[in-house]
Amino acid sequence: MPGFLRENSWPLAASVVLHGLLAAALLLTAFISSNQHLPTLQPLPIDAVVVDSKVLRAAQRAQAERAEQEVARARAAAEAKAAADVEERAAEEAKVAAAKQSEAQAQAEAQAQAEAQTNAARQAKAANQVKTAETANAIEDARRAAAARKILEAKQAIAEAKQAAEARQAAEARQAADAKQAAEAKQAADAKRAADERAKQEREAELRRQLANEEHVSAVESGPLRDRYITLLRNRIQHAWIKPPSATAGIDCVVEVTQVPGGEVTDARVTQCNGDAAVRQSIENAVYRASPLPDPPDPALFERNLVLRFRPNE
Amino acid sequence: MNRQLAVVALIGLVMFCPRTWAELVVEVTHGQDDAIPIAIVPFNSPEEAAASFDVAQLVSDDLTRSGRFKTMARNDMIDQPHVGTNIGFDDWRRLNNDYIVVGQVQVQGADRFNIVFELYNVLNRQRLLGYQISANKAGLRLASHQVADMVFQKILGVRGAFATRIAYISVLGHLPDKTYQLIVADADGMNPRVVMDSKEPLMSPAWSPDGQSLAYVSFEERLPTVYVQILKTGERRRVSARAGVNQAPAWSPDGKMLALTLSTRDGNLDIYTLDLATHALTRITDDPGIDTEPQWSNDGQSLYFTSDRAGGPQIYRIGIHPGDKPRRLTFQGAYNARPRLSPDESQLAFVTQEDGAYHIATMDLRGRGDVQVLTHGRFDVSPSYAPNGAVILYASRDRGRGVLALVSADGRVQERLVSSEGEVQEPAWSPF
Repeated sequence: MPGFLRENSWPLAASVVLHGLLAAALLLTAFISSNQHLPTLQPLPIDAVVVDSKVLRAAQRAQAERAEQEVARARAAAEAKAAADVEERAAEEAKVAAAKQSEAQAQAEAQAQAEAQTNAARQAKAANQVKTAETANAIEDARRAAAARKILEAKQAIAEAKQAAEARQAAEARQAADAKQAAEAKQAADAKRAADERAKQEREAELRRQLANEEHVSAVESGPLRDRYITLLRNRIQHAWIKPPSATAGIDCVVEVTQVPGGEVTDARVTQCNGDAAVRQSIENAVYRASPLPDPPDPALFERNLVLRFRPNE
Repeated sequence: MNRQLAVVALIGLVMFCPRTWAELVVEVTHGQDDAIPIAIVPFNSPEEAAASFDVAQLVSDDLTRSGRFKTMARNDMIDQPHVGTNIGFDDWRRLNNDYIVVGQVQVQGADRFNIVFELYNVLNRQRLLGYQISANKAGLRLASHQVADMVFQKILGVRGAFATRIAYISVLGHLPDKTYQLIVADADGMNPRVVMDSKEPLMSPAWSPDGQSLAYVSFEERLPTVYVQILKTGERRRVSARAGVNQAPAWSPDGKMLALTLSTRDGNLDIYTLDLATHALTRITDDPGIDTEPQWSNDGQSLYFTSDRAGGPQIYRIGIHPGDKPRRLTFQGAYNARPRLSPDESQLAFVTQEDGAYHIATMDLRGRGDVQVLTHGRFDVSPSYAPNGAVILYASRDRGRGVLALVSADGRVQERLVSSEGEVQEPAWSPF
C-alpha cells in the first residue's frame, strides 16, 4: 500500500487538490446565491395567470430534466460502485488504478467530453434565451408584479438546482479517484456555473429594469396624473348613469369593474349596495354604457380592476 | 335637481387587497335624469289579434308617456325578433338600447289570446322578465298595460300605474243643453265609460280605497248632494244631503268614513267626518273662516285641508280627535289650496297662485318644506297623484277648453292627455 501511494503520489495529489477546489467553488456559489435574494422584494398581486403558469411550467420542466439527469448519474455511479469493490478502500484503489490509464487516452476522452459539454452548454444557453424571451413577454403582459414573482421563483429553482448539484458533486466526490469522471464533473460544473452566471446577470438586469419601472409607476400613482385619471373615469361614468327614482341621497353602492387595455368593460358587478334591484342594475348598466372607459393619462396608471363607489349626494 | 350641487370628489387609494385586486377607487356622486333607451319590438301577432290591437305600440306609448323611457322608432329597427334567443345583442347595443322587449300574441281558442313577452338587459344580456298573460280580444288593451307595468317596475323599481283608471267630469254642449258626465277611463285616457250623467253639475269624484266605488257631488236635486256609487253595478246611495253645502268628499284609508265639507245655517263651511255605516257625523274644524277640500293622511288620524282663516286660502293639517288644533303648512304666496298627499306621504301637491295664474306645486314634507312649482299654465288645478306617486294628473286649459294633463312628481316630464270632446274637469286617479 505505501508502495502504491508512493508510486501514484502525483495523480493522487492532483486529484485531491482538484476536488478540494471544486468543493470550495460550489460552497462559494451556494453562499452567493443564497445571499442574492433581495430583501425588498415582496410577492406582488398577480393578475396574469397565463404568464405565471408559463413560468411555472418552464421551471418545473427544467427541474424535472435535472432530476432525470441526476437519476441517470446516480444510477451510473451505483453501477460503477457495484462493479468496483464494495469496500471504500478497494474502490479508491480501483479509482487510482483507473487514473493510471494512458494520458493520451484520457486527453482524447476529455476532449470528447469537453465537446459534449460545450453542446450541453449551448443547449442550456438556448434554453435560457427562450426563457428570457418568455420573460420579456411576461413583462409586457403582466408588468412588474408578475416579473418580480417570476424572478423569485427562478431564483428558487436555481437554489434547488445548486443543492442538487451539491448532492451530485458529493456523490461524485466519493468516487473521486476516477479522473475521467472528475474532469467531466469539473467541466460540467464550470459550464453550469458559467451558464448560471449569465442567467443570473440577465435576471439582475431585468430586476433593475423592473425596479426602475416601479419607481416610475409609484411616482405617477401618487401624482396629479392619477387624480386626472380618476376625474376622467368619474365624469364618463356619471354621464352614463341614468338614475332610477330610488337612487336618492343615502344610497351607497360599490361596483367592481374589469376592463381590458383599450378600456372595454368586460365585467361589472355590484358587490355591496343598500339600494334596490333597480339601483343595482342602473349602476352596472352605467359602467357598460361608459365602455370603453377613458385611457389613463399615463399607461402606468392603467388598472385592470376598478372599484367604483356610487354615492348620489342629492 | 342635481344642477346646483357641487361635485364631491373623494379620491380613493390604490390598494393591494388580499384578493389580489389592484383597485382604483372612483366615487360617483351624480347621475343623469335621462330617459332610459328601450326597444319594444313589434309583437308577432295572428291576424285576428293584430287587426284589433297592437300590443307593442301600446307598451311603447305607455313607457314614453311616463317620461322615464325613450322608445326606439320602429323604422330604426334592423331586426324584429320575437323570442329572446333570436336577439342579436351587439346590434341592439350598437343602436344605443339598454333594454329590449320581444314577444308574440298566440291564439289560444275562440276569442282567447296569450301575450307572451320577454324583457332583456341588452348591456349584460340578462333576461329580466318572461311572462305570458291570457286575455280575450277586449282584454288585450288592459293586458298590454300590464306588460308596460311589469317592464316599468322591473327597470325602475317603481310599480307601474298604466293598468289603472282615472275618473273625471266632462261637460258637453252649452246652456240650456249642457250635459255633465262622470267618466271612468283607462289611465291613458282611452276606453272612456260614462258612469253617471246629468243636466245639473257633477263635481268632486273621489275613489274608494278599494277602487270599487266613487263618491261625488251631484246637483241633480238642485242642491249639492253627496252620493256613493258602486261602479260594477251602478248602484248608488245618497250619503249626505244636508241643508246648505255638501261637498268635497274624501275617503278615509280604511274606506269606512268620508271627510266632507258641510255648512252651518249661517253659511260657515267646516270639515266633518261621516261614518258610512252609522251615519254618525263628527265635526273636525270649527272656525268662522272657510275650511274645505279635506284629504286624509295614510294613518287615518289627521286631515289636510284648505282654510282662509288667516285671510287668503292656505293649507293646514289637523288631527281628527277632539281638541286637536290645526297647524298651518303653507306660507309661500297668497293662495295655496286643494292639498293632495302623495302615496308615500313624502310630498303634498296643491294649487298655488302666481301673478294671477294657477299652477300645480309640491311641498316636501320630509325635509325643510321646500316648495317646487311644477306647471306654468294659466289655469292648472285639481291635482291628483297616480297611485305610484310618479305622476300628478291635473286639469288645465288649452285654447279655452278644459283638458287633462300630467306632470311627473319631480316636474321633469309634462304630458297632455288626449282629451275627448267637451270640457274636462276634476280628474281623480284610481288606486292600484
